[in-house]
Amino acid sequence: MFGFRRIPLGMRTRLKAVRGLYIHSNDENNPQARGLRLLHAWLSPPQLEQLDAKGHFDVIGSATGRKYRIHFGTSMNVHELDDAGRLKMGWCFVPEGCLVPGDVMLAQKIALETFESRALSVAIKFVPNERLC
Amino acid sequence: MPTQIVMNRNGDTRHYFDANDAAALAKAEERFKRLTGEGFTAAVRIKPGEVVRINSFDPKAEETLFFPRLVGG
Repeated sequence: MFGFRRIPLGMRTRLKAVRGLYIHSNDENNPQARGLRLLHAWLSPPQLEQLDAKGHFDVIGSATGRKYRIHFGTSMNVHELDDAGRLKMGWCFVPEGCLVPGDVMLAQKIALETFESRALSVAIKFVPNERLC
Repeated sequence: MPTQIVMNRNGDTRHYFDANDAAALAKAEERFKRLTGEGFTAAVRIKPGEVVRINSFDPKAEETLFFPRLVGG
């Protein structure tokens, strides 16, 4: 009615969780907060803006030029986008060990931007959740 | 001061070293070789948001980030 776009429930929950973490990440010194601060420091300004606003950020694959969206999370959080910006394919790959979300997302960004083919070669494909966008 | 940032379950561990101190530099280079030998990827920022992977120790890098080997999730 007022031209607002309704945000899907799944995305709203995710955004709420991300924003909640951000509020605490500036002054806390726990692993999650440190991971988010590290991620913030290494994202490009547009990626940072996108993460703050939407809870995800986009990267361009170094080998193919394909666009990927990295959502907040530690698994099944990387999606390849089609030309229209829709989720096309999910790629699940993570750094070994039990890392916090900020660290996992930063490793995924660097991997796709610097050695995309090798990252995808270890990844497990999955069908994207259509509630995410 | 140059820093090596190693991701781990605690978020990360930071190792600061004086690039003008030969002993500190040697220790940093040894850490680089050990981590990359264990499968860690090393990366440095060349400008905001732009990162490159490195295969050899760069004593001039202000921050070198290490993350563990990637595996399928």
